[in-house]
Amino acid sequence: MAHWFHRNPLKATAPVSFNFYGVAASPAANKICNDLRATRARLLELFTDVTCNPEMMKKATDTYFSLLQGFIVSLDGTTQENKMRFIQNFKWTDTLLGNVASAQQDAVFELAAMAFNVAVWYTKFASRLAGKENITEDEAKEVHKSLKIAAGIFKYLKEAQVPRFITPVEKGRDLEARVMDTYTIQSQAEAQEVTIARAIELKHNASLIAALAFETANFYQRADHTLNSLDPDYSSKWRKYLQLKQMFYIAYAYCYHGQTLLASDKCGEAIRSLQEAEKCYSRAEVLCKEYRQTKGPGSTAKPSEQLFFLKLGSLIKNTLEKCQRENGFIYFHKIPPEAPQLELKASYGLAEPVPFELPALSEQCTPEVYATFDLTKGAKDDKAKPKQEEEVKPVKEPDLKPQKDTGCTLS
Amino acid sequence: PAIPEGIPSDGRTNKDGVLVDEFGLPQIPAT
Repeated sequence: MAHWFHRNPLKATAPVSFNFYGVAASPAANKICNDLRATRARLLELFTDVTCNPEMMKKATDTYFSLLQGFIVSLDGTTQENKMRFIQNFKWTDTLLGNVASAQQDAVFELAAMAFNVAVWYTKFASRLAGKENITEDEAKEVHKSLKIAAGIFKYLKEAQVPRFITPVEKGRDLEARVMDTYTIQSQAEAQEVTIARAIELKHNASLIAALAFETANFYQRADHTLNSLDPDYSSKWRKYLQLKQMFYIAYAYCYHGQTLLASDKCGEAIRSLQEAEKCYSRAEVLCKEYRQTKGPGSTAKPSEQLFFLKLGSLIKNTLEKCQRENGFIYFHKIPPEAPQLELKASYGLAEPVPFELPALSEQCTPEVYATFDLTKGAKDDKAKPKQEEEVKPVKEPDLKPQKDTGCTLS
Repeated sequence: PAIPEGIPSDGRTNKDGVLVDEFGLPQIPAT
């Protein structure tokens, strides 16, 4: 499919034992704690398992979250907080900030941080699949859906879970609104990239492709602007990616808009549109080089050497030459000094996040079992206090580089 | 620029009642 996406590293976390000696005062309560430990460990394993697919990921996520909710939702029929919500400390690193973890003694923080990583996994799964040789139509649909699922999770966390935190999120951390907004918009934009490839393959109208490319460029611009008040040390590389994709899709939009103009016998305007596409493509090329040279978290790549990039260059060149030929033989139009205004609205192909829903509470978590958790008997040693500066081992991620790009297009 | 709302669909028709595929594209290519 010839796609390439920038990816930041996964979040890392410290192991959690869920050992509440004395507090879990019944076999059923102990079983919940043991199952929490095991299902959490299983989910963490899957993040770096290259054989993991969305079905496996959903199952593991649902299993852990259905139990974790036993520490979050009210189980005693009152409107008060679940008494177990603040019993366990959780440490997580952030995708942009290296190995320094933040910690909160709050099961809602754990839910949000873990779900965030699940969303990042979906984006990485999509990236891996989109870079594969000879991608099938079903795989392209999987890429598209995975990105929309990721967008839905980021959106849900921002709207439904992060506002419940007792401790506000610090600047630049993953669960901060600006970072989550950027991830959401980026996931939508990347899903639309897949749609654009599909639209080209199916030979949809040039006007449809131009409008979707233009809206996608706007998505990338918005994502980039969302990050502009963050520290450049950790946001610059990501921003370069968003900027290069924005410029690349503006070039796409001008290229296909030029084809629309030519089809309406506006050959002079078509040539001007194609010339603008060439300019934007050159700017995107410069941004690709800057991306490579910028230090920061995330993957390293040479985007301007990827086929997805080179193909557009050839398309612009060939279309412009065709327009110039036809103008020389048929139309004899003057070339306007100003580029045409792109005021295109996409009616098709805009990607909507898939709404995320938490699984139902585990059947193990009944009010009767909940009553057997006795906080008055808690071992003090087990309640570790949050340590802000402690380092958490980074996640060893599998090689997510796309395989050799053959230039095969989505069919 | 404002981000436009996505176009929710049931996978078969969009809000204008046009038949679309899983990507939200018209099912019958326009050209």
